[in-house]
Order: sequence, then structure tokens, then C-alpha cells
Amino acid sequence: MLRPSFTQGSQILLLAVALVLPLLAGPYWIHVGAIAWYYALLAASWAMLAGYAGQFSFAHVAFAALGGYASALCAGQLGFPLPLAIMAAILLAAVVGALIGALVLRLSGPYLALFTLAISEIFRLVLVAEEDVTRGMQGLPVPGLFPGRSDTPYYYLGLGLVVLALGAMNVLLATRVGLFVRAIREDEGAARASGVDTTRYKILVFVVTSVIAAAAGVYYGHFIGILTPNIAILPEMGLVIAMAVIGGIESLTGAVIGAAVVFLLSESLRSYGEWRFVLMGLALILVQRFAQNGLFPALEQLGRRRAGPRPAASAMEEPSDG
Amino acid sequence: MSYFLLLAVNGLVIGLIFALVASGLTLVFSVLKVVNFGHGSLYMLGGYASYYLITALGLPSLAGVAGAMIALFLFGVVFERLVIAPMYTDRVERKDEYAIIVTFGLTILLTNLGLVVFGPFAKSPPSFMAGALIFGPLILPYDRLIAAIVAVVLLVGLTVFLKRTALGQALDAVSQSRESAAVIGIDPRRMYTVAFGLGSALAGGAGALIAPIFALSPSMGDLPAVQAFIIIVLGGMGSVGGSIAGGILLGLVQGLGVGYLPDPNRALAYTQAFGALLLVVTLLLRPTGLFGRSHLRLE
Repeated sequence: MLRPSFTQGSQILLLAVALVLPLLAGPYWIHVGAIAWYYALLAASWAMLAGYAGQFSFAHVAFAALGGYASALCAGQLGFPLPLAIMAAILLAAVVGALIGALVLRLSGPYLALFTLAISEIFRLVLVAEEDVTRGMQGLPVPGLFPGRSDTPYYYLGLGLVVLALGAMNVLLATRVGLFVRAIREDEGAARASGVDTTRYKILVFVVTSVIAAAAGVYYGHFIGILTPNIAILPEMGLVIAMAVIGGIESLTGAVIGAAVVFLLSESLRSYGEWRFVLMGLALILVQRFAQNGLFPALEQLGRRRAGPRPAASAMEEPSDG
Repeated sequence: MSYFLLLAVNGLVIGLIFALVASGLTLVFSVLKVVNFGHGSLYMLGGYASYYLITALGLPSLAGVAGAMIALFLFGVVFERLVIAPMYTDRVERKDEYAIIVTFGLTILLTNLGLVVFGPFAKSPPSFMAGALIFGPLILPYDRLIAAIVAVVLLVGLTVFLKRTALGQALDAVSQSRESAAVIGIDPRRMYTVAFGLGSALAGGAGALIAPIFALSPSMGDLPAVQAFIIIVLGGMGSVGGSIAGGILLGLVQGLGVGYLPDPNRALAYTQAFGALLLVVTLLLRPTGLFGRSHLRLE
């Protein structure tokens, strides 16, 4: 089974485009781009969890909420300095990720999906109910990271986080861990029989992806300046799933592109109201039905085939795809 | 005491509606081994279908409910044929994820289509019957009484259908073993389609029954869907009897919980969270559910 992946050339080209974009765009689109990086972090890490490791989790946005709220509460109510508050939030996410990863070891497929859906709902409902601590639906104010009102520093921070997260996940997947994780997805029993410590690697994937989701939540909270429990509602999870699946659930870069394209499209089509999400639901079903590996890997394969034996040419054709 | 009775009876009515939603979800799960994450949106669609049948075509209320069930049956059959059936071919890898994604995609599609087509504002079809049954301290609006009676009739009908008719037994056979059912001449693919159609019809019927009690809105299916997930896990994935018991139990617990816990905001959140907690604990400790049939385990 050949897994479609993006060439290095096309990835560097996309990164260059992302780097110069704020110089050309107005403040509104820089703001939109900075939010897109939040979704890109979530979609890519969810793609690793669900696509590579086959652990279909509905709790990913709940981890973003956990990170965001933890950092905001540590900085606000407990008076931690910001860097310490952020570290505490990340550490908490790692611990909770390990805990949930250990709890769901025996669950798979729809059982895992239902379990994580329930965990996510419980956490969201606690955020709604415990108004004394979280301020409930009124929203929790979060201190900013940078002085001034410009969104540009956040845009570059978000972009940096995406590059960092992609790099870390790719390095991890390029080692034996990636092989083990895929072996577990294909047949857990066979993997264990071949001597893979399935427990260890399943929990590891859960911890890594939960930490990235929490980092995304921390970034989002400090950037937007207010958090409500709605960050973890099911439609938000749906958005992340749609982004990852449309972009390519087995390609981390594909998921990032999916997140950016879906979010930018949904912002630029604002005047069409809910039709955008009708379209997104339809796209989700159609992509899953006809191009299971996602739209962008499929497009890239097409481009590569058209370019024929000259691999250098395929890199040149990428921008029109992304 | 009368307060308790009032809460309990209302909890029972809602529990019967939950049981109806959950039995459809269970039927789909037991036969197809697919958890339909779009079940709540079919419930919503059923509510609107009956609303338009009653207000636009002028059908009598109960005929509107029946019409909604037929419409949803057809919708379910078409969706199963077009989107779910390809899952059973070799072209689809990762079948579990495929099923979750396409059914969850259906929720996104239908909920937002509902917002565009039906509008975000609440709509209410006419009552089944105005007034209320007054029996001592107990006041039960006729709408709720009729919804409960129809729900009981449908649940009993479903149970009898599954036990006593050839088609029902064929569905049960496929739910127990695809291969053995195929050996004795039952086409599993056909049963998948029938089960998904029936499951959709049950969700649609529940939505149509609830319509005069609570108003219709495009996101009305979100909460009952989560409740139905809880119920089918509690009742043992795939056991119709278990979902009926689980539905009634959950309706009662939540009805009483909201009435008796002090702070209303917290009570509402925590009675919902309590159900989700039940799901989590059941999955961890007893994955076959409280009333489960062990052969239906997926793992």
C-alpha cells in the first residue's frame, strides 16, 4: 500500500507562500489566517491519531479546551507567570492524554468514538456548569501574549507551531514508532504477537496528539482573548474532522492544507451563510466515498502522474493544487 | 409526592421517546455493526417532515407522523444504498472510520440544510389533541399522553416484528452472524438496507411525536442523539429490549434530576453529564452493556 505524501519541494513552496502572505493581506485576513493555524494544528494532530494510529477520537477539541482553560486559569486565578502557566497546561494535557489513552486501550472503532464523545461532553458540561471557576457561557478572559493589537505576531507564532508540530510528528513517524503505530492500526493482535509493545505506542500517540491539541488551545485562547465552552462543542469537532478528511487523513501536510483551505473558503463565502456548512458536509461525505485518502494527496498524485518521469516538475505544479 | 409523580410521569414520556430513538440506532447497529452518528439529524428530519405534511398538505396529525416515518424509511434506504453499501466492498479501507465519518458528515449536512431550508426559528405543528388529562394532582397534556401511547405501540410493534415475522427473524439472523445468515439464503446486503431504513423511520417517528411537545429546530436532534448513544451502550449495543429499558431509565433519572437538584443551571448540565458518565463507566467495566447479548460484541 503506497501512502501518498507531499514532496519536500511542494512543502517548502507552501511554507514560503504562508510566510509572505501577511505582507500582501490586510489585517482581517491575517486574523483569519491566525485562526486557520489553530485548526491546522488540530486537524494535523487528529490525522495522526485517527488516520495513522486508527484511534478515532471525538475528544480532540476537548483537549484544546483543556489546554486553553488550564493556561488561562493558571495565569489568571493562580497568578502564574505566562510561560509557567503555558507549561503547566501542556503538562496537564500530557498527563490527561496518557490517562485517557490508557483507559481506551481496549476500545476501538465505534466504541472508542462513543467513549471519547462522552468524555468530551462531560468536560464541556463541567465548563458550562462550574461558573464560579470558568465563568461558564459568559466566557473566561485570557491575557494576550504580545503587546499591541496587531495579529501579525500571532500569525507567525501559529505558523511556527504548525511547522514545529508537523516536524515533530514526521520525525516520530519516520522512526520505528511510525511503523509500529501503523502495524497496530492494521492488526493489533498481529502487532503484539510480533513483539510490538502495543500498550506503550498507543498511549504515546495519544499523549503526543493531545499535547499538540492542547498547545493549539493555549495559542487560540491567548490570541482571541476569551474562551467559552463552545470551543469544545460537537460541530467544532466536526469542522476538524472535515478538514482532516478532506485534506487527507493519512497525510499530515494534507490535513494542514485541508484546514487552511476549508477555513479560508468558509470565511470568504461568509455571505452564503449556512450553505457553506451544507457544502462542507457534502464534501466530507463525497471525499470519504470517492477519495478516501483525501483531496490533496489525490490531486498531487494526479499532478505527479501528469508530470511523468520528471519528479522536479511535480513540485512546480503544486501551488495550483493547494 | 405529587411533584415527584409529575416529574416521574414526564420523565417516563420523554424516556419512551428516547427509547424509540435508541431502538432505531440499536437496530442499525445490530445488523450493520455501524453506529449511526447521523441518527439525531434523522430525528430532526422526521419532525420537519411531519410538520410540513400536516401544515402544507393538511394531513391529520397522526397521519403526519406515519407519513414522516415512511419518508424517513425511504431516505434511509437511499442513503444506505448510495453511501453506506460501498463499505462492504474491498475498495473501502478502514471500514469503522468510514462509517463514522459518512454518518457524522450526514449530521453536518442535514443540520445546516435544516438551518437554510427550514430556518433557525422554532416551528410548532398543531397539537395532536388540545387540553390535558387531569387525574388528582397529576396533569398530563394530551400531546404527551398520545406521544407516549404511540411510542409504546411502535416499540411493541417493533419487538413483535423482530420476533414473529420472517423479515424480522432474517434481520435478527444477520445481526447474529452474517455468514450463517447468508448460508441459509438470507442476503445480508438487503437486510442492511432494510435495517437502516427501519432505523431511520424510528428516529423520524420519534421526532414527529416530539414535535407538538417541544418546538422544532434544526439542532433539535443533537441532544437525543447523545442520549441514544448513552442508551444503546447502557442497554447493550444491539439489544432492542435493552434500549427500551435504558431509554425509560434515562428519561426518569434526568426528569427527576432536573427537578430535584438545587441550582437549575448546574442541574441541567450535570444530569446530561451523568448520562455521559454512565456511558463511560459502562464501556470500561461492562462493554456488553447492562442487558447485552454477548455475541454482539465488536471487539
